[in-house]
Amino acid sequence: MADAYGIVTSSGNHFRVEGLEDQRPIGAFSFLGRYRVVDFPVSNLSNSNIDRIQVYVSQNPRSLAEHLGTGQTYNLNAKRGKLQLLFNQDSRVNEIYNTDIAAFRGNMSIIGRMHQPYVIITPGYMVFKQDFNKLLEDHIASGADITLLYHKSSNAKEEYRGCNTLTLNRQKGVTAIERNLGLANDRNIFMDTYVMKNELFLELIQKAAKTSSAYTLVDIINAENDNLDIRGIAHKGYFAAITDFKSYYDANLELLDMTKARELFTDGWPFYTVTTDSCPVHYFEGASVCNSMVANGCLIEGTVENSVIGRGVEIRKGAVVKNCVILGHSIIDKDVHLECQVVDKWARITNVKELIATPENPGYVKRDDVL
Amino acid sequence: MKQNEMLAMILAGGRGSRLLDLTNKVAKPAVSFGGKYRIVDFPLSNCANSGIDIVGVLTQYESVLLNSYVAASRHWGLDSKDSGVFVLPPREKADADLDVYRGTADAISQNIDFIDNYSPEYLLILSGDHIYKMDYDKMLRFHKENKADATIAVLPVPMKEASRFGIMNTNDAGEIVEFEEKPAQPKSNLASMGIYIFTWKVLRKALLADMKSTESHHDFGKDIIPALLGDGKKLMAYRFEGYWKDVGTIDSLWEANMDLLDKKSELNLSDPSWRIYTEDASELPQYIGKDAKIETAYITQGCLVEGEVVRSVLFTGTEVAAGAKVVDTVLMPDAQVAEGAVVTRALVANGVKIGKGAVVGSADSENILLVAKNVKGVE
Repeated sequence: MADAYGIVTSSGNHFRVEGLEDQRPIGAFSFLGRYRVVDFPVSNLSNSNIDRIQVYVSQNPRSLAEHLGTGQTYNLNAKRGKLQLLFNQDSRVNEIYNTDIAAFRGNMSIIGRMHQPYVIITPGYMVFKQDFNKLLEDHIASGADITLLYHKSSNAKEEYRGCNTLTLNRQKGVTAIERNLGLANDRNIFMDTYVMKNELFLELIQKAAKTSSAYTLVDIINAENDNLDIRGIAHKGYFAAITDFKSYYDANLELLDMTKARELFTDGWPFYTVTTDSCPVHYFEGASVCNSMVANGCLIEGTVENSVIGRGVEIRKGAVVKNCVILGHSIIDKDVHLECQVVDKWARITNVKELIATPENPGYVKRDDVL
Repeated sequence: MKQNEMLAMILAGGRGSRLLDLTNKVAKPAVSFGGKYRIVDFPLSNCANSGIDIVGVLTQYESVLLNSYVAASRHWGLDSKDSGVFVLPPREKADADLDVYRGTADAISQNIDFIDNYSPEYLLILSGDHIYKMDYDKMLRFHKENKADATIAVLPVPMKEASRFGIMNTNDAGEIVEFEEKPAQPKSNLASMGIYIFTWKVLRKALLADMKSTESHHDFGKDIIPALLGDGKKLMAYRFEGYWKDVGTIDSLWEANMDLLDKKSELNLSDPSWRIYTEDASELPQYIGKDAKIETAYITQGCLVEGEVVRSVLFTGTEVAAGAKVVDTVLMPDAQVAEGAVVTRALVANGVKIGKGAVVGSADSENILLVAKNVKGVE
């Protein structure tokens, strides 16, 4: 059992995934056919033997609450462990009040009662594999006040836009946390993952609130930089930040490269998710499938290329699905031709026979929609 | 605890020796089926879907895997406060030494105390080795409407095959008048499916009498049913229409898997109103590679297909490498077919590796080839 509890944060309001996020928070997005984005941080925590986990959600909690349940899916010990869904209603007055600090303050008494000496904060909108026990050990060994996890990118002009970056000195000391404005390619992308003592965490929440109601945890850490020893630790392996529609689309399709997928999915580090007890995929005569991930419960009679197909999707005779992300239970009817589309759950495309976009600017079909 | 109207007991002690090497280390009910399931998932899911809360599973042969598997009652949603799946192997008792279950009826007799704990009105007896979907609640209603002492589910089979089954001869009212085990000259084509509902106090009495008998085989078909008929009890035949298969041999196990490829299969495992539940594998969705070719297949999560798959069923974690070809074949969990290998009309057992370029099975074989050992590649 680890000396830390885990916090899974919801995305800041500078991120927005068009369409999908109208329905649910990013953590509840379907990912790679059968997962939800939040499965990755919660499984990372659980696999690191951290079995007290708080998941923050600020709007549309339904799908996340349903999915996470009691945490049994994630192997959390039913008696000693606990998964809490902490809801903090966003302010409707002004977006500026909707900070992570506001969410923590709304649940201050719970945070204050945690008996684990350390807290690990990790985002519910990023996909990566990380052993937090190892991170905690490294944090304790370094003697730092705060450890931040980052990922070296050599393509930051294009990718991870809107994420924060870390400026590091030679000793891996963090000298500043700044937004990635896409001005340079080589950047240390901050993975919004923090390790610190719970005492310090409580102190920072209070200080932030006293300084400004608009302050985020990053703001207060920047402001306190002179008084604190803040270090960065580099993450290696697959890393995706779901921060806008394009990054969601890209992250799904990127994992069709099995070399990349194997960086994320390794033996002995399972990512858990809720089973829906769907039967295996049924491929009928006439089906043609290549370079695709297909989740269980699908009925496939058409052509599928370079796509991620969610659970229980039907692709009927003569239909062509290329470079698409199809979410669960959608129906792509006879002779419908789709390219570069994200089709949300329970949609049915039947009358519109052609929807073609480009990988640079993929299209979106709304949940429950009939086209 | 809330009153349990009907308890279910699944007879899962048999080896299933006609499944050859497949049941060397696991009992037949634990044998994999249909890509992601095990055979015993079918009666267990049927119980869960029929609203039965308490299920006892009688195990005996190679039961380590089976016991731990069925004990995880959450797989079937049988884990709410007053429900559960209970593993019941033979045990030593204060007044009796440890003894094996001597027959199907004896397995129940030795667990009368377990059943009495729940004081059910009815007892459902199932077999752990059949593939079918069935609403036992409908059968219970039939049993009650007919004020029967026992109701036996029967399946009409082709007359020429009737001599392979236990046959129920009925009168016009559907009452069973005679039971014949594998009759040479069958008088009816109603085959027993090994599914019984008994009014518990009637069965309890019959079991106690059977335990004392020295001539009895302690078998439901051979002893209990004839005894009840002899006592003038009311036994009803409950006709079942639909898919039902005894997967007792390699050929029939292969066939039942192949039946899933049929678009109009009555088994239809994708029906959301009657799901078959099983353990959940934490595996990636299946990945179908760049040069893969798939022509009618049933493939589950965790498979990796780079080669060609024709009319085949692929179980969890199987791999078909580039240039390999799998035709009319069942690949059980974690089986691997290496580059250039060709597998035809075979059932490849769990974890078996078919080496590079190997050729296994043939299209015109009479029987299905069971491949239970690794096959070396051809360099």
